[in-house]
Amino acid sequence: MPMKRSPEVRPKPADALVALAVLLLAAALALSAWGGGRSGGLTAVISVNGQVTETVNLSRLSGPEVRELNANGYTLHVRLSPDGAEVIDSTCPNQVCVHTGHISRAGQSIVCLPARISVTLSGGAEDGVDAVLG
Amino acid sequence: MKLTTKQLTLCAVLTALALALSYVENFLPLSLAVPLPGVKLGLANIVTVFALYALGIGQAFLILIARCTLGALFAGNLNALLFSLLGGLSAMAIMALLSRSKCLSVYGVSIGGAAAHNCGQVAAAVLTLGNTAPLYYLPLLLGVSLFTGALTGFAAGLLFRALEHTSLMKA
Repeated sequence: MPMKRSPEVRPKPADALVALAVLLLAAALALSAWGGGRSGGLTAVISVNGQVTETVNLSRLSGPEVRELNANGYTLHVRLSPDGAEVIDSTCPNQVCVHTGHISRAGQSIVCLPARISVTLSGGAEDGVDAVLG
Repeated sequence: MKLTTKQLTLCAVLTALALALSYVENFLPLSLAVPLPGVKLGLANIVTVFALYALGIGQAFLILIARCTLGALFAGNLNALLFSLLGGLSAMAIMALLSRSKCLSVYGVSIGGAAAHNCGQVAAAVLTLGNTAPLYYLPLLLGVSLFTGALTGFAAGLLFRALEHTSLMKA
């Protein structure tokens, strides 16, 4: 059973082209996904009963702001700040949302199941430019 | 596809080897050095590189499917199947293309495969979550894949050199 194809086991110059292509792809994705910086375009999306009730561009906040959310008989206080969000207190029985603590990266979320409230951070601002070149 | 007994045996051994490598990888947590979700060495990719060159794309595909299915079964996680299949199939498609080029060595092929694997896994994460938040990690994962791809390429190169001294792949 001979080899189907015999491989070249020493690095060749063209290998650098593959590495370069991967780097270029990474750079292009970084520009479009990261926009103005690591936490620059962070947006908090607040949902109640599965409906988005408020979208806050955190990078536009000058300081921490506390929102009171009421749903399904429970009251939550959510602190939104330029670097993330956290539930500071809740009247719900299990306190999972409070114990989640502070979230600061796109993709993270805080969920309160009894109140059916969720706060999700997403990357990329709702408005403004995606990237500035040159 | 009709396999000889020797081919079937080799496919089975390589599937077991790929599963074992994925398991051993858990003891070398690259994620401690590079704290990113989904970052890993991708040692099982050595098996795919080897199978592509030595056995051809048909058998490499069989090994990959068996590895992903068994891996998800052992982990008891059907969600993991989507991640490993999308990652593994993307990597194999890219490596099958790149390995046709006479200008590239196992290093270039392996780096391309590692990068494609990350793209496939992030695509699986986007499908699972229903939003594009996982794309945030892709540029960093691609950067890491340059190193992990070169490392698995080096390991595959060692394997091919060692095989020259055996009768396994002789007619």
